[in-house]
Amino acid sequence: MTKYVIRRLLQVIPTLWGVFTILFVIAYLMPGDPLRAVLGEQYHRLEPSVVEAARDELGLNDPFHVRYLDFLGQMLSFDLGYSFILKQPVIDVIGYRLPRTIQLMSGGLLVGVLIGVTAGVLAAERQNTWTDYGLMIVALIGVSIPVFWQGLLAQLFLTQDKYGIALFPVAGYEGGSISHMILPSLVLGTSLSATLARVTRSAMLEVRGQDYVRTARAKGLPWYATLMRHQFRNALIPIITVIALDISGLFTGSIVTETIFSWPGLGRAVVVAIERRDTPVFMGILVFGALVFILINLITDLLYAVINPRIRYE
Amino acid sequence: MSTGESRVATLQALPEQRTSNRMRFWTSFRRSKTAMIGLIIVILMSGGALLADSIAPFDPIEPHYSDRLVAPGGPYLLGTDELGRDIFSRLLYGARISLVIGLIAQAVSVSIGIVMGLLSGWYGGWVDDVISRFTEIVWAIPGLMFLIVVVTIFEPSALTIFAALGLIAWPGQARLMRGQVLVVKEMEYVAAAQAMGASTARIMFQHILPNAIAPMIVVATLGVAGAILTESTLSFLGLGIKIPNPSWGTMIDIGRNYTTNAWWYAIFPGLAIMITVLGFNFIGDGLRDALDPTQYN
Repeated sequence: MTKYVIRRLLQVIPTLWGVFTILFVIAYLMPGDPLRAVLGEQYHRLEPSVVEAARDELGLNDPFHVRYLDFLGQMLSFDLGYSFILKQPVIDVIGYRLPRTIQLMSGGLLVGVLIGVTAGVLAAERQNTWTDYGLMIVALIGVSIPVFWQGLLAQLFLTQDKYGIALFPVAGYEGGSISHMILPSLVLGTSLSATLARVTRSAMLEVRGQDYVRTARAKGLPWYATLMRHQFRNALIPIITVIALDISGLFTGSIVTETIFSWPGLGRAVVVAIERRDTPVFMGILVFGALVFILINLITDLLYAVINPRIRYE
Repeated sequence: MSTGESRVATLQALPEQRTSNRMRFWTSFRRSKTAMIGLIIVILMSGGALLADSIAPFDPIEPHYSDRLVAPGGPYLLGTDELGRDIFSRLLYGARISLVIGLIAQAVSVSIGIVMGLLSGWYGGWVDDVISRFTEIVWAIPGLMFLIVVVTIFEPSALTIFAALGLIAWPGQARLMRGQVLVVKEMEYVAAAQAMGASTARIMFQHILPNAIAPMIVVATLGVAGAILTESTLSFLGLGIKIPNPSWGTMIDIGRNYTTNAWWYAIFPGLAIMITVLGFNFIGDGLRDALDPTQYN
């Protein structure tokens, strides 16, 4: 086990290096003069020599390999740099935005798990009935609906009286109040709930044929006890795996959801930073996102090894 | 020798076996109502896209300034946009962009996935290590953010979007292919082919690939759905292909400014995306069930 854990941890190093390299090349190729972003209006008024000096100072005139090594050095010292436009360290930008994105993602996760798992269990219990078919078709529609369009529908029908009812605020954060969270969470959680409904259904069906479930039923346990203790608990592994893998999906979904609902999170920040050519900010967030994803992959793999001894001894 | 005879017998029986498998696949696929609905949706959408020139009642680009934001009904089946252009006609032309991008991007991604999976599964060892690491690197990059940045760098042309979508979507497919190859390469017919001195290329493409491809077909179909969704998301964020012909996502992006007085503007393109994506997902699901070998027995 220790050997496996060490090997798996060592694998993270080349992965990180590769991710950093790809991201650096992308940023290096980014068109547009970052100085325009740094200097703003002054860019056109300043003497060319002053602009050139500023460029030197920022290291923008250094050759590719120097900038690459600088960047790797920065990454190794956990330094994400300084925003050109917001005039504050990128880590502070992330520090301010991350809790808001996590809040939104938690809302989406809650929606996804509650709706998805319930629908999946119900569909499995009513296998091959209209309930089952209906739920599974709704689930397929759920993965087919574009997130941004769903957000627009929600805004069209649930936030104004003209075509629908004004139940919720159109957009905004307002200190993260529940009423502002409901629509974005629903929109963000839809795709996850649809995926989870399908996975839960098939996991429950697989478990239902097991001997211990039959035994539990035969010894006269009430159906809900069999359902929860014998079936659901054993169906949890695929469900949890899908949730873990879908965290990155929630993160991607939050980019669009935050844009539609003006939610001040990382996703919105990335889109704005790219529009303004604020390289340090979007690079910082990309690096951060990649780190989180690598970490989730690592944890998932290690958990598999804990659960499944065959992986450990391979 | 009797073994020789029986081998000849097997060889002769093989084509028949194959057609009957194909028949069983088709029967099973046809039995699924949702798969058939999906097929019909995709055929209708492709037909609309191909025949847009003759079906579309109006020119998709030419404005009619006196008919701005006209509600659905009358000559404008699905209403008009802010320049008085017919939304139905624009949707037909938009189908071209969505379908072509979805199919080509997915073809790029599946090809990379298949090659990577074949190589790492077949050779194992350091080849597998290198490819697996590379797969994980690409997998770790947040997809949509990567696409936004790449499209900003290289301008959103059709080529950029095919390439970028394809280059970011393959890791899952490579992993699946690798897993398939690991199973198939232990099969006796592979050992037999090796014993008969078949070349590595021949074994890979004649023996491994056909027997490992079934789940890839399913994943590729679902991937087309995903690629269409991603393309529309990029267009919605204002990073779609810049050509006069409309893309569905772009229409929604512009239409959302008019939701208070022209609901149809943003609704119908979204419906078009959803129905098309649903069509591919239905087909993918039907294929998964029909290709599942456990169902044949």
